[in-house]
Amino acid sequence: MKYLILAYGSQRDYDAMSGRPTSGGPTWTPEEFEAMGAYMEKLNGDLAESGELVETRGLTAPVHARRVHQRDGEIVVTDGPYAETQEVLAGYWVVDCDSYDRATEIAQRLMHVPGPKDAYGDAVIDIRPIAESRHEMDL
Amino acid sequence: MTSGFEDLLRELAPQVLAALVRRYGNFDTAEDAVQEALLAAAQQWPAGGVPDNPKAWLITVASRRLTDLLRSESARQRRESTWVVPEHYTPAPTADDSLVLLFLCCHPSLSPPSQIALTLRAVGGLTTAEIARAFLVPEATMTRRISRAKQAVKASGVPFGLPADDRLPVVLHVLYLIFNEGYASTAGPSLHRVELSAEAIRLTRMVHRLRPDDAEVAGLLALMLLTDARRPARTGPNGELVPMAEQDRNLWNAKDIAEGVGLVTAALSRGEPGPYQLQAAIAAVHDESPSYAQTDWPQIVGLYELLLRFSDNPVVALNHAVAVAMVDGPLKGLALLDDRLGDDHRLHSVRAHLLEMSGDHAAARASYREAARRATSLPQQRYLNARADRLTD
Repeated sequence: MKYLILAYGSQRDYDAMSGRPTSGGPTWTPEEFEAMGAYMEKLNGDLAESGELVETRGLTAPVHARRVHQRDGEIVVTDGPYAETQEVLAGYWVVDCDSYDRATEIAQRLMHVPGPKDAYGDAVIDIRPIAESRHEMDL
Repeated sequence: MTSGFEDLLRELAPQVLAALVRRYGNFDTAEDAVQEALLAAAQQWPAGGVPDNPKAWLITVASRRLTDLLRSESARQRRESTWVVPEHYTPAPTADDSLVLLFLCCHPSLSPPSQIALTLRAVGGLTTAEIARAFLVPEATMTRRISRAKQAVKASGVPFGLPADDRLPVVLHVLYLIFNEGYASTAGPSLHRVELSAEAIRLTRMVHRLRPDDAEVAGLLALMLLTDARRPARTGPNGELVPMAEQDRNLWNAKDIAEGVGLVTAALSRGEPGPYQLQAAIAAVHDESPSYAQTDWPQIVGLYELLLRFSDNPVVALNHAVAVAMVDGPLKGLALLDDRLGDDHRLHSVRAHLLEMSGDHAAARASYREAARRATSLPQQRYLNARADRLTD
């Protein structure tokens, strides 16, 4: 079964990771960022080795986002979500594993990623089962 | 900064900008980010050495800087606008970023001067100061023009890389204008601004490399090469203008002529020729002729007549009249002159030449003086006054 694991962040998180001081939040040191990267590499390596990893990517900062939506029947595009948006998608994994519980286990492992104190105080990860066909969505 | 760095940075600047804009959009902010990355390179490379992959280095630094700039409050407010996706989205057919950048700079919402300025800066990698110098305007004026152009592109909401091939004629026209400004400057003390014609040829070569089957692109490149080939003979030792009839043809650049003739010959074999191919064909007839007198004037008359079918252009009509005069005599040529170019020195200059050919020296002298008064460049004025001075009744 395939699951989509979604990790959320905010522009502030991206700023903090880039080493910029943020109001009220932690600022990452290069060593802390390095440790986070090493942890992620290990986790992804493990998932690749077990055959559970389909795909994973990190996304660029929210300031580069575009949103397509409708307004008065017209399709418009806006730059954004804007920097103050608290939760935007920061990265995702597609895993192919035995059960929802196993996918949840993987997501929990993601929660243990190292970082400065309080870096993940309000961190959120979502898991969504992936429908293999339209009929599964109809259930 | 050594000139080695300058050349490298100038070559890489448009590629880095194109990569950034293709990836993130935001042309106006991306351009600022690239400028800052170039500055960082100019400060760091001389001491620390050029990185192994300088382009990747610049893209990384510029991307970080773009993120920073977009974060800032002012940038964010500017971006809080909506835009509508054009109904017919067609991605650029080529993956080459330089061409996409060129198409972007020739944006339909921009005036030709803005298109030219933006092209020279974003694709040509010239600094604002260099462009300002080439067009003889104060740097502040050129800065404002470029800044307004970028805002206009932004405000138009047409995303990067759109539309593609239907903008090619505008791109070719902008390159043609850049070349002409470099070859026959409309103002100022020097007749040529070689850096502009060289840049136009370089960019047209690039478009030709990407669109090798487009006969008009080949025609424009041929036209530039065949015209530029005469540059060494076009001015005398004191910067004075030498008319084609008196040019030392040994000074013409044989390599450029061979390349231009090859290009236009191949292009013409592909069917109905367009205006650039016809102009290139005319230039080729001139360049291949052993002397002015031995020029195949009837063929040139025929080519101008084909060209006149595309547009009723008064300059083309003027050149046609000159060619007719060479075939059928000056009086036939004089009869074809029309007054639509009344304010332009070229009409008076041609009239003066034809009157001189017909033996009416008094009228010719008056026309030369009239032409000199209207000419804007000093070499042209000196040439025309000298022609008037040497005529005796």
